[in-house]
Amino acid sequence: MNARLDSFSYDDDIVRKFLFATIIFGLVGMLVGLIVALQLANPAFNVSPILTFGRLRPLHTNAVVFAFAGNAWFCGAYYSTQRLLKTRMWSDSLSRFHFWGWQAIIVAAAITLPLGFTQAKEYAELEWPIDIAIAVVWVAFAINYFATLAKRRERHIYVAIWFFIASIITVAVLHIFNNLSIPVGPLKSYSIYAGVQDAFMQWWYGHNAVAFFLTTPFLGLMYYFMPKAAERPVFSYKLSILHFWSLVFLYIWAGPHHLHYTALPDWASTLGMVFSVMLIAPSWGGMINGLLTLRGAWHKVTEEPVLKFFVLAVTAYGMSTFEGPMLSIKSINGLAHYTDWVIAHVHTGALGWNGFLTFGMIYWLAPRLFQAPLHSKKLAETHFWVSTFGILLYVASIYSAGITQGLMWRAFDETGRLQFPDFIETTMRLMPMYWVRVAGGTLYIIGTIIFIYNIVMTWKKRPAAYEVPVVTAAPLSALPAPQHAKSGGLLAMTWHRKWEAMPLFFSVMVALCIVVASLFEIIPTFLIKSNVPSIASVKPYTPLELEGRDVYIREGCFNCHSQMIRPFRFETERYGDYSKPGESVYDHPFLWGSRRIGPDLAREGGKYPALWHVRHMENPRSLSPKSIMPTYPGLLSNTINFDGIQKKVDAMAMLGVPYGDAVNKAPAMAREQAAAIAADVLKNGGPAGLGDKEITALVAYLERLGTDIKKPAGVALAPSVPKAGGN
Amino acid sequence: MTKAGDDRPIMDHEYDGIQEYDNPMPRWWILLFIVTIIAAPVYYLAPGDIGAGAKKTEVYDKEMAAFAAAHPNMGGVNVTPEQMAVIVADKAEIEKGKALFATTCISCHRADGGGLIGPNLTDDYWIHGGSPVEIHTTIDQGVLAKGMPNWGKILKPDQINSLTAYVVSLHGTNPANPKAPDGVLAGATPASAAAAAAAAAAAPPATTTKKP
Repeated sequence: MNARLDSFSYDDDIVRKFLFATIIFGLVGMLVGLIVALQLANPAFNVSPILTFGRLRPLHTNAVVFAFAGNAWFCGAYYSTQRLLKTRMWSDSLSRFHFWGWQAIIVAAAITLPLGFTQAKEYAELEWPIDIAIAVVWVAFAINYFATLAKRRERHIYVAIWFFIASIITVAVLHIFNNLSIPVGPLKSYSIYAGVQDAFMQWWYGHNAVAFFLTTPFLGLMYYFMPKAAERPVFSYKLSILHFWSLVFLYIWAGPHHLHYTALPDWASTLGMVFSVMLIAPSWGGMINGLLTLRGAWHKVTEEPVLKFFVLAVTAYGMSTFEGPMLSIKSINGLAHYTDWVIAHVHTGALGWNGFLTFGMIYWLAPRLFQAPLHSKKLAETHFWVSTFGILLYVASIYSAGITQGLMWRAFDETGRLQFPDFIETTMRLMPMYWVRVAGGTLYIIGTIIFIYNIVMTWKKRPAAYEVPVVTAAPLSALPAPQHAKSGGLLAMTWHRKWEAMPLFFSVMVALCIVVASLFEIIPTFLIKSNVPSIASVKPYTPLELEGRDVYIREGCFNCHSQMIRPFRFETERYGDYSKPGESVYDHPFLWGSRRIGPDLAREGGKYPALWHVRHMENPRSLSPKSIMPTYPGLLSNTINFDGIQKKVDAMAMLGVPYGDAVNKAPAMAREQAAAIAADVLKNGGPAGLGDKEITALVAYLERLGTDIKKPAGVALAPSVPKAGGN
Repeated sequence: MTKAGDDRPIMDHEYDGIQEYDNPMPRWWILLFIVTIIAAPVYYLAPGDIGAGAKKTEVYDKEMAAFAAAHPNMGGVNVTPEQMAVIVADKAEIEKGKALFATTCISCHRADGGGLIGPNLTDDYWIHGGSPVEIHTTIDQGVLAKGMPNWGKILKPDQINSLTAYVVSLHGTNPANPKAPDGVLAGATPASAAAAAAAAAAAPPATTTKKP
């Protein structure tokens, strides 16, 4: 037994930095959210080309997920980890590298996304140089975190730390494997996966980004700040263990529920569904442990805004983690997929769970970090009620919108025809709900502004110099050897106590858990040939079509238009034959989409003459007066970089796309096809001189979509020159 | 700082003042978990139209077959010249057709029928025939290769009748800045129209029959 005590202090400066980043980027992300909500309610809010829905929607999601929620997680993690481990972070420099690196990445995202640089994968839109930066910053964070664990002065690690460990490891794995791509320019790359496999990887990532960026880190925060604020013990240690491990193990399987009824093989879809349903209890374990921690402290909830925020956050978590598994049930998903229902679902989680947990945490932290009493408890109460009402308006209107959409799309009349054959009819029906959403979002933001004012006023009352308390604790080596109960069996969970004393072993077990679970789905997805029966008539895109596809990606068309017709009669009547797995084998990346703000485009090819597309891009409302699509007049004047196409074709060829001849003469092929399309447009009375304009490439791509399957096999790389308009 | 304040079993550790009860997990929670775990393989392996064995495309094929059996006469409604003569003369039909035209057709044929992407519907030239029955067929079946949808799948038979009536009524309205004539002069026999269409299809586009 050694009586030596270490003296040290906690690094609260880094916590303050992350706190400010959280509130600044929180407000920015929410304001971008308000702008995209307005753009859906009235297309006049789009300012082409930079401030259009297709480019700003990813900025909104990236800002609130990675900037707001990310900084909030780091803020709470740096505060709690040091105290739970009784040590300062291992390296102050790495902490700062993490902070400044992360903020630089956010700024890079805020610049590149509106400029149209995107990988077209949801929540993984950022292009390859930024992805590399994310990986570097993440590794720095991880090194610092695990080194801090190694120099802890507490024998066992607390449940909050378990959740942080799992989040750090899993986010690294997800980020790296979903973003593997071949660069074709400084800010342009193609995913190494295509079609079904790319879709699978993306939603393995996408679903677990929600799980391990928005759920598990916030559970970690809850496990620290809830008992702290309530001054009550956590409800059940055993529940923590079981729900932690089951959550970590089960979550990773659930991704395919984002792809029900798509060209993903049935077995994967079903697997995703049953694992999602099994997630109800593990998720609710967190909610129960949070809410029941308040047993004996409910009277405090009435007078303490921090606890009010926590109670609503945990309740919202419980609701959205019940709804998630329900939405994963195939028949329910058949109604909800592609609709606003999913948007309502994620906003229950984002506004309620992530937002309110962050607000509660910061109200609790501010007086401690700024060493001054909270400026106004009353304003915090006001914030709570204003934002709560905002959430209610938001989700109520968007649930109605989603269900309305889903039901109208599938409605048949008594003769067996679609009751609402014109897509725009369903869009118009949603407009009042979209305006209510704008009102709800505005209220939420007003609450956030009240919150920021309150925090800044508290900060202003800080002392001239922060007091840095000196803490003393015995080093790990001086702590008595842990006394672990010898027996008790699996359910007594005494074995887990030993694991808690071995953070490295614990982390390896977590890594094994998520990697093994992932491989169970990934290996068959990539190796079983029958998953993607090949279709002989499906050929690679022509060089011009490939260029047009990149325009489609740049403008973020996939944010509003799916390219995946599900095997339902109401879909095939509206859009044409359902999409086959073999149709997207050359799609690097896949562009199936997840929303139908506009109609599906999987079989757009041949539906309209080229001139229709030209006029429609120039101003959609000239052809469809009620359309809410942004205008893209720039496409008629931007010139195509024909010489740049060769590099893209070569990259595709490197990925295994059988380009044959086109590998050597892509620009010439593209020019030829563009001239033919431009001539057709001119002949039908359209504008002249489009032969080298981006619109021509986009038209070529759109006219190709979904047409291969109708052609006889063996037709080589046939450019689809649209036929003359008229009838 | 954390005070249990009761005699429930508590774990003998604390972290930064946080303690944890040794409460048992709620029984209903464990039960819920077990039920979902048991349900997973049961559902996955279940026979019939659920589980991993149910191919979504097979379910779809059944749905389509059942629908086709229940609705033998979808699309391709045959109309006679006599029936159409009555319809095109009916003012009420024309009015109904006008409303439908405004929501369905103007994006390609222009609000006044003068033609935009699709041809002028007001002049004497027709690509697929200008008799009421031929117009009805063009709307009903569409000309998919040229971008004209087969409205028979979308609109009801009486709506196609109304539209036909309205399109016939547009004849001779002489809107400003019409699209150049396309197709063959009305009054040509169906046979000669077919021959002209075949010739137009075979020849390069520039030689398609076009008269001032």
